[in-house]
Amino acid sequence: MLLEVRDLRVEFRTRDGVAKAVNGVSYAVDAGETLAVLGESGSGKSVTAQAVMGILDTPPGRIGAGEILFKGRDLLKLKEEERRKVRGAEMAMIFQDALSALNPVLSVGDQLGEMFVVHRGMSKKDARARAVELMDRVRIPGAAQRVRDYPHQFSGGMRQRIMIAMALALEPALVIADEPTTALDVTVQAQVMDLLAELQRDYRMGLILITHDLGVVADVADRIAVMYAGRVVESAPVHDIYKAPAHPYTRGLLDSIPRLDQKGKELYAIKGLPPNLMNIPPGCAFNPRCPMAQDVCRTDEPPLYEVDRHRGSACHFWRECLNG
Amino acid sequence: MVDGVVEPILEVSGLVKYYPLTQGILIKKQIGAVKAVDGVDFALDKGETLGIVGESGCGKSTVAKMLVNLERPTAGSIRYKGEDITKLSGRALKTVRRNIQMVFQDPYTSLNPRMTVGDIIGEPYEIHPDAVPKGDRRKRVRELLDVVGLNPEYINRYPHQFSGGQRQRIGIARALALRPEVIVADEPVSALDVSVQAQVINLLDRLQNDFDLSYVFIAHDLSIVRHISDRVGVMYLGRIVEIGKDEEIYGHATHPYTQALLSAVPVPDPEARARRERIILSGDVPSPTNIPSGCRFRTRCWKAEERCALEVPLLAVPAVFRLAPGPAAHDSACHFAEEKRVVPPEEQAPGVLDDLGNGGA
Ligand SMILES: Nc1ncnc2c1ncn2[C@@H]1O[C@H](COP(=O)(O)OP(=O)(O)OP(=O)(O)O)[C@@H](O)[C@H]1O
Ligand SMILES: Nc1ncnc2c1ncn2[C@@H]1O[C@H](COP(=O)(O)OP(=O)(O)OP(=O)(O)O)[C@@H](O)[C@H]1O
Ligand code: SF4
Ligand code: SF4
Ligand SMILES: [Mg+2]
Ligand SMILES: [Mg+2]
Repeated sequence: MLLEVRDLRVEFRTRDGVAKAVNGVSYAVDAGETLAVLGESGSGKSVTAQAVMGILDTPPGRIGAGEILFKGRDLLKLKEEERRKVRGAEMAMIFQDALSALNPVLSVGDQLGEMFVVHRGMSKKDARARAVELMDRVRIPGAAQRVRDYPHQFSGGMRQRIMIAMALALEPALVIADEPTTALDVTVQAQVMDLLAELQRDYRMGLILITHDLGVVADVADRIAVMYAGRVVESAPVHDIYKAPAHPYTRGLLDSIPRLDQKGKELYAIKGLPPNLMNIPPGCAFNPRCPMAQDVCRTDEPPLYEVDRHRGSACHFWRECLNG
Repeated sequence: MVDGVVEPILEVSGLVKYYPLTQGILIKKQIGAVKAVDGVDFALDKGETLGIVGESGCGKSTVAKMLVNLERPTAGSIRYKGEDITKLSGRALKTVRRNIQMVFQDPYTSLNPRMTVGDIIGEPYEIHPDAVPKGDRRKRVRELLDVVGLNPEYINRYPHQFSGGQRQRIGIARALALRPEVIVADEPVSALDVSVQAQVINLLDRLQNDFDLSYVFIAHDLSIVRHISDRVGVMYLGRIVEIGKDEEIYGHATHPYTQALLSAVPVPDPEARARRERIILSGDVPSPTNIPSGCRFRTRCWKAEERCALEVPLLAVPAVFRLAPGPAAHDSACHFAEEKRVVPPEEQAPGVLDDLGNGGA
């Protein structure tokens, strides 16, 4: 395994109390594989990713427990300096909002080139040539002319492609893309996702794609981890999950997408609201909203049951769920 | 109303909104214009939902704002039950405005954080005091809270005490306060999570039935628009480029832009991956200050020919389809309109598939 997150716990101390943002997340991604991390706003997708990258705000954040094994080494045990090396060269992150992630006062050529100067010891001139090459690779028209332009001079889709170029510059083994296309229009989203998928294939990177778009997931993912209230509640190969979910929350998400053959009918809606992370319900965190909940769900927290060799579900009644 | 033809409740024609681009601080000189909306026509029937889709910046919100009179059109007319509301002022305008209300996109910023929910929902009564007598207003607000599925006891709470979906319900309750006939909803669920989106869509659906509302529903999520709309208009750079019944657009689009848009929508079915044909458009949307000559889509269109740069295609049933009635015969502004299958067959509902073979229902 390229990356394995085991039982990760992260909490935030705030004025109002302790928010348990990540409550025992486990997931894994291999080289050349795309893992989609799915879940509603606040379910802990980004915080988990920040912990993997080592860019968590601490304080207020605190890693309570867990392991993050990257190529077999536990990143949480590394010194900050070693960690920084891994972060720069071996893993990279693409953010939702490229404009705020790029430096507004540096030309994109300088930002891309800097990677090669710092990590590869290249001369400025060679680094600039590599920057143009990369911009070409992510299909920025007229790359040689535009290398001196600043981020605000590019459109949203182009900026996102420049972010991708930056993340891939050093050919990292792992890329985490946190909602890379949420801010973009569908036609531009398709351009960017296509590019990302192509580059991932070429470089055989492991890709963690964070999103709440079930359509995007179906298009590109190999595996899916569905998060709810800071836990992975279902983890499975993409084809299995769309065919028959093994967790009521996954089922609810899939059922609430408008479908052609149900036009005019009421949409399925998961009732209620996402939990308050300062006060997560005892037992199964999903129980107040779950149509299948029984008494045991209100007292016993379900472990991640093994559905089959490739699949896990944190539901006491995963069998019943799987069978409809 | 002649010969039983029902007049549309809202009829928009030649609607234009230009924002001047100026230079200079003391002496402002106009150096151009942002052509935010550049000639939009559509009609909305009573009880109908018209969906409007299109990419960011194509002018959807500007159209919405003109419909509810938050912006004055540069040109064109908006007829409400036959009367051009862009020509009205004073009391006459106020009366008409009551009947066309808006729900905004962002449930986080569209509600005043310092006002209680009761004051927010009851605010329209301050502007239209004759709508409900003062003594009955609290009661009406409580009823409205109940109608949108919120506990009437929450009347004294503040917006920050509610989730996004609940805040959107508050916005909807406010829009309903004056018992309007038309609701313009500008991306009402875009800011919400999937699970909460469905709750709000169902609510809008129910209210439409209960109060016989007509909707203009703006969104960029094509699946949601399809779910709720009877007809759909596709906008590009300030104009509607294709408009028709939902099946005409989703199953039988003839405009290349609509086809690209539909093909780019991620489909929540991994099995469809291999079958799908994606049209990946090259380039970016041109600036609305500098709209291409002829067909405004030509800079990104894979079918563009010389004629497209010279001649503006009109929004009408294309000549090739005029003699062949069927779902492809709907308004499409393209010189070379033709059908193209972009959504994988299995995505279609069974009934739809049958329609394809024999020219449609
Ligand atoms: N710096 C912080 N301080 C306090 N709380 C935080 C901080 N960062 C995140 N949180 C909390 O942790 C929880 C999980 O947040 P996270 O950003 O991981 O959600 P997410 O799943 O990425 O959601 P989204 O889809 O909205 O991006 C949230 O409740 C959030 O408020
Ligand atoms: N007050 C204004 N002054 C100048 N330009 C404006 C103004 N309001 C809107 N515009 C421009 O008009 C165009 C259309 O904007 P509009 O907000 O209607 O787009 P939209 O289709 O609603 O986009 P989105 O999907 O991003 O909400 C954009 O280019 C926008 O920048
Ligand atoms: S454990 Fe119980 S409450 Fe939780 S998802 Fe399963 S059935 Fe629902
Ligand atoms: S008129 Fe020409 S450029 Fe415009 S959409 Fe049709 S083929 Fe394309
Ligand atoms: Mg996030
Ligand atoms: Mg808008």
